[in-house]
Amino acid sequence: MSESVAIALQAFEKVLDRRLTAALEVCARCGICAESCHYYVSTPDPAHVPAARAEQVRAFYRRRHDPIGRVLPWLAGAKDLTEERLDALQETAFASCTLCRRCTINCPFGVDTALIMRAARGMLTAAGKAPEMLVMLADAAIARGENADEFREIYREIVSGLEQEAQARIGDPSLRIPLDKKGADILYVGLSGAHTILPAAIIFHEAQASWTLSMFEASNYGLFLGDPSKAKAIATRLVDEAVALGVKDVVLTECGHAYAALRWEAPTWFGGEFPFRVRNIEEVIAEYIQGGRLTLDPSANPESITYHDSCNLGRNGGLLEAPRIVLRAAVQDFRELTPHGTDSLCCGGGGGLVAVPEWEEIRMRAGRRKAEQVREAGVPVVATSCENCNLQLTDLNAYYKLGVRVVGLMELVVNALVKAKERQGLPLAEAA
Amino acid sequence: MGVEPWMVIASAGVAGFGLARHLTGVLARPFRPERARPAGSPAAGVRYAFTTGMMPWAKESTRIHLLAYLRGIVFHAGIAAGLIGLGLALWDPGLPSAFRLLLSAALGAGALAGWAGFAARFAEPGLRALSTPDDYVSVALVSLFLTAGALAWWDARWMDAFLLLGAATLVAIPFTKIRHCFYYFFSRYFFGLFYGRRGVLGGAHHE
Repeated sequence: MSESVAIALQAFEKVLDRRLTAALEVCARCGICAESCHYYVSTPDPAHVPAARAEQVRAFYRRRHDPIGRVLPWLAGAKDLTEERLDALQETAFASCTLCRRCTINCPFGVDTALIMRAARGMLTAAGKAPEMLVMLADAAIARGENADEFREIYREIVSGLEQEAQARIGDPSLRIPLDKKGADILYVGLSGAHTILPAAIIFHEAQASWTLSMFEASNYGLFLGDPSKAKAIATRLVDEAVALGVKDVVLTECGHAYAALRWEAPTWFGGEFPFRVRNIEEVIAEYIQGGRLTLDPSANPESITYHDSCNLGRNGGLLEAPRIVLRAAVQDFRELTPHGTDSLCCGGGGGLVAVPEWEEIRMRAGRRKAEQVREAGVPVVATSCENCNLQLTDLNAYYKLGVRVVGLMELVVNALVKAKERQGLPLAEAA
Repeated sequence: MGVEPWMVIASAGVAGFGLARHLTGVLARPFRPERARPAGSPAAGVRYAFTTGMMPWAKESTRIHLLAYLRGIVFHAGIAAGLIGLGLALWDPGLPSAFRLLLSAALGAGALAGWAGFAARFAEPGLRALSTPDDYVSVALVSLFLTAGALAWWDARWMDAFLLLGAATLVAIPFTKIRHCFYYFFSRYFFGLFYGRRGVLGGAHHE
């Protein structure tokens, strides 16, 4: 047994808990899951059946843990893990599964194939076989957390520039983007790039929210690596910041995996609930709309608009209604995709695929069904509340020549907000 | 030489012992519950997982593969009838002929569904690619057991074959894929817990 195989198996045994054991044991290989996977639907290859994908892990699990697998491996479909099989697992776990759990919802046993694939990712990461780009991004995020003070001043300058942009957008010089504001109610966490900060700043300003901007970005590449120690190190930056500032809520920008990481996974890594709530910006906007804190004019978004549910926010995060509350208030003609909600098709950009350039062709092929679904909807605009989905849908739009515009929900809200104020003929701050 | 009841009882003992080993094996593994604040009810999710979530119309996959799913249901109902039939055969309470025929019909339907599933594994390339030898052996063994049961409750001359195949099936449970019947409860429980807690399934908006 090679050293990397030994390390990988050690990592596997470490995560082999009751839930993973059940997922590995229960599959009857009925194949009913096939069409639930966007890879299989786009390229009907038996290797893309979720059960077949998980068999790569089950084979060595049975070799190690099933008595018949040890004695009569051919009968049980048991195989030793070898260097070659570990290499083959790399593409399966990292490039051929977006961890969307559509197969889980559709499996009569509820087999959690994403859990199995995440265990495989953890093994590969431990063995040094994870995609370099994902490792680099995770390490860079950890390094930024460790050297936050070095970035603080330059970040402050950048944010000051953004503040002026936001003021100009709404014609209100009183708009502020606070940083390090102790006692604020909300710590808002964006992504690299102004597009996640500017609309949020306008929305918070208009809702007269007490907020402050995080020094860090919401994404967590440790989650994609299946490496809880790296994922925890990345999340620690936000947890420490939120605790130091004493905020009530950490509000994450439009990012599906960031929500999955901090809202659902991180409390388990830290061993308990946080002293603050973790929320997604769509939840907060929906609350502002329902509470009358934002006045929107949907005529600002007159085109027919459909919504793509991010798997991490919707099916796996429970945020199915909030984005729809936002859309119904912010756009004139909202139309659902078929299927949507818990049955929504993955766009093919999740699980870190968008970040790895060499997988572009794979994810374009995997997104074929989503592209067809958008085309069938016949609308000019597709909204989404996840950055990775947004990037993937934008790429699919170009690749399949869909002729649509892909937008974030916050952008639509800001359009509707500005229009409402214009209609009233009032400066935004006064009207609020 | 006839099949003695103790053989079946001993086989049931092997099955029980083997499944107990699986149970202790699972329970020896760590349980890592989610620590995040729930957004929904884990109990409602678990309820959903074992009830409405198993209905043929509840999932896109079972709507697409309705026949295969119904075939599976009939097969598993046949297995339940087979186990009942096995117990009754040992006890031999002198059942009315109408009941015997009913049992025979249930077992026969299960057997047909089992053999149909077996044939599908050979015939469908996708399913064949997915299958291990264990899949064929297990389905064939259980289908044989059900076939013998259907015949035995129709004509008692088949009873020895039924008891023998019943004993073999019982022994096979913990060692083959047949044990998925045991892990089903764990898997659906964790499924319900996960999606119930996250407010995705089992809530009012879903049902």
